[in-house]
Amino acid sequence: VERPGGDVARGLAPFLGGTPGIDRSGTYQFLNTNKESVVLDLKRAGAEGVVEALVRISDLVVTASPPAVAERLGLGYERLSAIKEIPVLEITNFGRSGPYRDYALSDTVLFAMGGEMWSHGTLDREPLKLGGTAALLQCGAMGAVAALGAVHAYELHGIGQRVDLSLFDVQINSVDRRSSAILAYRFSGRVNGRPPAAGAGLGGGIYPCADGYLEVTASAGPYWARFVEMIDDPVLREPRWLSPATLADPAAKEDADAVIYPWMLSRTRAEVWAAARRAHAIVAPLYTGEDVFNDPVFRGRGTWTEVEHAVLGAFPMLGRPYQLDRTPWRLRGPAPMLGEHTRNTLSGAGLDEAVIDRLFATGVVA
Amino acid sequence: MNEYLPLQGVRICDFSIVWAGQSATMYLADMGAECIKVENAFIFNPMTRAAAPRLTPQVSRVLPAWVGGHPDSDPGPRPWNNSPAFIHVLRNKKSFTVDSRRPEGLAIVKQLLAVSDITVENLPLGTLDKLGLSDEAIRSARPDIIIMHMPAFGRTGEYTEGRGYGAHMDAVGGSTILRGYADSSPFTNVPVYAGDFFAGMHGAVAALAALRHRRRTGEGQTIEVTQAEASAHMFPQSAIDAAWNGRIHGSIGNRSIEGFVPNGVFPCAGENRWIAISCRTDGEWRALVRFLGAPAWAETGDLATAAGRALQEEMIEERLAGWMASREERELFVALQAAGVTAGPVMSAKDAAEDPHLAASGAWQRLPATADYPETDFGNPPYRFTKSDVGIRTAPCRFGEHNDYVYREVLGLGDEEVERLSAAGHIADTYAPEILGG
Repeated sequence: VERPGGDVARGLAPFLGGTPGIDRSGTYQFLNTNKESVVLDLKRAGAEGVVEALVRISDLVVTASPPAVAERLGLGYERLSAIKEIPVLEITNFGRSGPYRDYALSDTVLFAMGGEMWSHGTLDREPLKLGGTAALLQCGAMGAVAALGAVHAYELHGIGQRVDLSLFDVQINSVDRRSSAILAYRFSGRVNGRPPAAGAGLGGGIYPCADGYLEVTASAGPYWARFVEMIDDPVLREPRWLSPATLADPAAKEDADAVIYPWMLSRTRAEVWAAARRAHAIVAPLYTGEDVFNDPVFRGRGTWTEVEHAVLGAFPMLGRPYQLDRTPWRLRGPAPMLGEHTRNTLSGAGLDEAVIDRLFATGVVA
Repeated sequence: MNEYLPLQGVRICDFSIVWAGQSATMYLADMGAECIKVENAFIFNPMTRAAAPRLTPQVSRVLPAWVGGHPDSDPGPRPWNNSPAFIHVLRNKKSFTVDSRRPEGLAIVKQLLAVSDITVENLPLGTLDKLGLSDEAIRSARPDIIIMHMPAFGRTGEYTEGRGYGAHMDAVGGSTILRGYADSSPFTNVPVYAGDFFAGMHGAVAALAALRHRRRTGEGQTIEVTQAEASAHMFPQSAIDAAWNGRIHGSIGNRSIEGFVPNGVFPCAGENRWIAISCRTDGEWRALVRFLGAPAWAETGDLATAAGRALQEEMIEERLAGWMASREERELFVALQAAGVTAGPVMSAKDAAEDPHLAASGAWQRLPATADYPETDFGNPPYRFTKSDVGIRTAPCRFGEHNDYVYREVLGLGDEEVERLSAAGHIADTYAPEILGG
């Protein structure tokens, strides 16, 4: 259900051909394949009846408005559950109560407050966010978990209920070190912080190679042996590297790097990763978006799919994030055009054509 | 409330390790599935219950706080029952031990599979096959079971032998190259494990879908969640811009890929205090300018539009950094939000633990002391169901805590068999001497 003019995501880059347009946003396409679009102006008189008709044909309602706005728009749980016993997932910035309830969030502010930004980056500089809009998309994935849980309860027990999902809480509970860091503080009083520099330990961190970079974990236990097997240099086979004191010695790291750097720099990412896989070394290349798109192995596995769009033609799109062999993810359609399904959906919800005509005429739907 | 658990009656035979697998089954356990961890006194899976089976206070202090911050910085004799890095993903789960490498142990695992609805694993590829637990073998124990594999780089294709932790899957998924300071090379990046988080949630979503299909049709299936592929879905803008337009994204520090200006993290008064600010609309920019007292620099030129501000981004960032530097970040946070600007402090783990909003909104649950840690507040799941009790119903499972329950009640073994399996080391509540060392 989109507002008149369309969801904000329709205006978010990247755009097909670099040209903005209401159907051209890659962000919108990615988030909305397999969906239909109904345009509804919740602020107009008459919208209530449309909400009621839509809820009646639904198994789940998802809202993402600030708590006060949801109430004002007639999307509060009391109102929705009066229509029908139904699960309602309410996604909010900070939950439905507490001092921050009505505050705004962006991806960056969300990760700053909720996530483990504090320890990301180096000590002498500012803390860092993740790439893209990772923190927000993580919250979306958690929303899917919560929604499916509510649908299970609905089908198993015949109960609707409100599910309150706060973006702030999702990040506070992130298994990407945040819940651990908080528990560690409670246990020990230690605050997880930014290190003075990256890449501590023997063969630890990101190394450059001939055409890019690799993430390397080699210092712990059996991983050093596999790493040494990969590099295959007699110097690294000397027993001195196995002493625990050496592991934490910065001078020893420099000695090891004197062997590791030339080896890496004379090889491509693909060559290093192939050698790493043979030795089962804990090493992997840093891929760009282009690498993710072009990688022949991922292509062969079906990581990407092709979307056929009525107006825009064909374009590639990230495909299934998981593979289920009996009920596979499949692309049923591109992201909808604005209001593409308004009339059909309302008709399917049992509204008379005359009623629908009047809703269009008065601007309640579009 | 218990009768309304979404996954009531579902049992998981859980082989998962580290964060991605163990968090996937945690979400399912939160929803009411009975999650039985299959553990082995003769194998210490790295980064699954603790960094190592023996950890001195000295070593734990050298480790980063998230993994080394055991109670009072002393891991004690059982670091696997009090690791801050891992025990929170063990909430609502049960633990039983068996050495599945021996025939009688394998038979026990198959008995458990026979009464399980789903099994989950993210072990190095081929580990279960080597144990004699191929998909076919699992299905012969339980024909309608759901089998979920969560490999690093796929169960098919050339990368099957690739090994990695979260940081390595983030690398291949396109995550690592996008973060870091805009003016430094990626090799100055410190590791994060965003991919574990994302793959764990995607595993839970896939499992919930398969469980729904099974409840409706009785049919099980096989699921593969390749963690590097799931990670790629965390950065669709970068992947799609490359696919559509041939543009390659790199790190832009704290700036916004959406073109919001300003969008950054600025120093505040005091040591290592910071505030994050985003102006996502021109209206938010106007609110920020009013908040700053409408200084001349902010009202000159074409700063009224995002495009105009983009041309002056560095200047705006320098001005903001200068303005914020003498002010306290929590006061700024409240004042900026009240003024209509999206802003918030960068919160350390300590700040989060002491945050008034989290305390007031039910984010924590106090769990009683055990032999391995004192009474402590743990994080509640981030979703609150009004009818189903999806909170922390049982504390993180200790190693081998539920052996009696699993062997006797679930598998129906008698005293004699239990005694025999205990004597053979299958049933244990600590790791074997060869794991623990001298």
